[in-house]
Amino acid sequence: MQFEHLIASAIMLTTPILLAAMGGLINRRAGIVNIGLEAKMLAGAFVAVIVSSATGSWIIASLAAALAGAAIGWLFSLSITRAGANMIVAGLGLNILVAGVLGFILSWVYRSSGTLRLPDVALLPKILPSGLEFVPLVGPALAMLDPLTLLAWMTTGALPFVLASTRIGLWIRATGNASEMARSVGLQHLTIQDFTTACAGFFSGLAGAHLALVSLGLFNEGLTSGRGFIALAAFYFGRDRPITTAFACMLFGALEAAQIRLQLEGLPPKLIGTLPYVMVLIALVVVSIQAQRKSST
Amino acid sequence: MVNVLVRSLDIVLPLLVAFSIAAIVLLTIGENPVEILTLMATEAFGNVRRFAATLSASTPLLFTAVATAICFRSGVFNVGVDGAFVLGGLAAIFIAFKLPASLGAGLIPLAFIAAAVTGGFWLWLPGVLLAKYEADEVVSTLMLNFIAAGISGYLVNGPLLSPQSGNNVTPLIHETAELERLMPPSTLHAGFIIGLLCIIAYWIWCRNTPSGFEGAVVGQNPRFARAVGISVPAIIILVMVFSGVIAGFGGASHGLGQMHRFSDGFSPGYGFTGMAVALLARNHPIGILFGAVLFGALASAGTTIQLFSNIPLDLVNIIQGTVMIFAVIEAARLMKNRRRQTHAV
Repeated sequence: MQFEHLIASAIMLTTPILLAAMGGLINRRAGIVNIGLEAKMLAGAFVAVIVSSATGSWIIASLAAALAGAAIGWLFSLSITRAGANMIVAGLGLNILVAGVLGFILSWVYRSSGTLRLPDVALLPKILPSGLEFVPLVGPALAMLDPLTLLAWMTTGALPFVLASTRIGLWIRATGNASEMARSVGLQHLTIQDFTTACAGFFSGLAGAHLALVSLGLFNEGLTSGRGFIALAAFYFGRDRPITTAFACMLFGALEAAQIRLQLEGLPPKLIGTLPYVMVLIALVVVSIQAQRKSST
Repeated sequence: MVNVLVRSLDIVLPLLVAFSIAAIVLLTIGENPVEILTLMATEAFGNVRRFAATLSASTPLLFTAVATAICFRSGVFNVGVDGAFVLGGLAAIFIAFKLPASLGAGLIPLAFIAAAVTGGFWLWLPGVLLAKYEADEVVSTLMLNFIAAGISGYLVNGPLLSPQSGNNVTPLIHETAELERLMPPSTLHAGFIIGLLCIIAYWIWCRNTPSGFEGAVVGQNPRFARAVGISVPAIIILVMVFSGVIAGFGGASHGLGQMHRFSDGFSPGYGFTGMAVALLARNHPIGILFGAVLFGALASAGTTIQLFSNIPLDLVNIIQGTVMIFAVIEAARLMKNRRRQTHAV
């Protein structure tokens, strides 16, 4: 594999992590740590394959995946905001519940254990002409560019502005930073939290659609393989800032792309796979020590 | 009186909702829920052999639920029991196949000690990070689970790979290191009794020791705890290490009693099922025993149901996930007081 192709696959592998991380980031800014990204991603992938096969349209499939994710996210949010559930446990429970429901449907409706292959699944199109492949360095990456990757990066680019300078961004930040105050000035802070959790579900659903429709066109129970948690790792690592989080996502995506190569060099893939988690652990310690210093001075 | 009612509702509600959802799922696929659930109950408790299978399936959960409860009752949100279980199990199995078989049954205590040290160290780490630097324990323990899976996956595919077999497994442990089967041919083994001892030890620790009392105070009101001179950081580290030791014991028991070797998928999420048990039991030892048996019954009956009536085993996951979500929903809040705001973790 040449360097150009490594870049291309790194970008492709970054997209689902980036989408889910942006959703989770918005959610955390409003004060909810979303452990259930994985569940919504998995549900999104499942819905995307079914709808894509039924309609032959990647747009409808992606939209359906996003809406399925948003619906799950909204219900999940209600359990936290209206019924006082602990968000961590509810998130872990959601992951188990959704995996259970999907597995059940898979084996009952489709009589298959683990994998769903359907006919005529429309994959994500390439938006740029394939002639670009011969551009040096970024050629293959450009030629492989799909609409959801573009959307992911556009979202990343727009998010700092949305959070900093729009009304809804202000509401979200106010809810997360000072929920008492947000309430006292008349903001519906629970509704805002529900909205952001639905957002997180929306983007995680899209992430799932990307995983399912970018090249394989099938669903597998292990398709997400912890990417929801990598996304969580990314916005913790990026301290909820869109641009830094995007860098973390790119790093994790590149790591995943390089994994196959490093394996050939004799490095154990299982250990390389733990690197994102180790990095978050280190980042967590560094951030906590800094915060302590700040508060003690 | 009202308080007692609300508290029992807290325990009954999650089960009620979970089984209602299971019933709805069964209705949707055209099965009679009463029939299937009765069948499951018979499969789980119908005769001595089946009951033994249920207890066997509940054995790992006794450990992981106690390990979770130790931390939860002190307000420490440790979700890393699964990782400590896996690495503890691997350490025990390593001792039990690596050391000479001539050590005989002496291998068993050595293996348990290795598991306890490994598990204890593994959760000591996030304990110190939380106590010293206030590093969020949810994130650190969550990450440590993945790291534990990576390390064990690497070891069983590389340095500890069995030379005789293909992928992902260590050699079998020496027969002398196997925990005794209590009721052959069922797989129920002496680990169940060790699990019961852990529950009793946890109970005694909660009720009769200073650190157990201090742990409860820290859980209920950390500011008060600090005010009366309890060292909150010391308690945090202590409960984390205890949790790791018990989780390690669980791994050792599962390894020496059930699996007899380490393979990928050593824990199909025992740590998280244990969490569901601890939440349902509200950290109470008796509740943990019943909760573990309930989830053991679901797992063992679920497998049979899948075989005989084609109903996917995933039904068990649906029930478990629902129990977890509804176990943390504040039932009382649903009925009244809708204006109170949520607290961030």
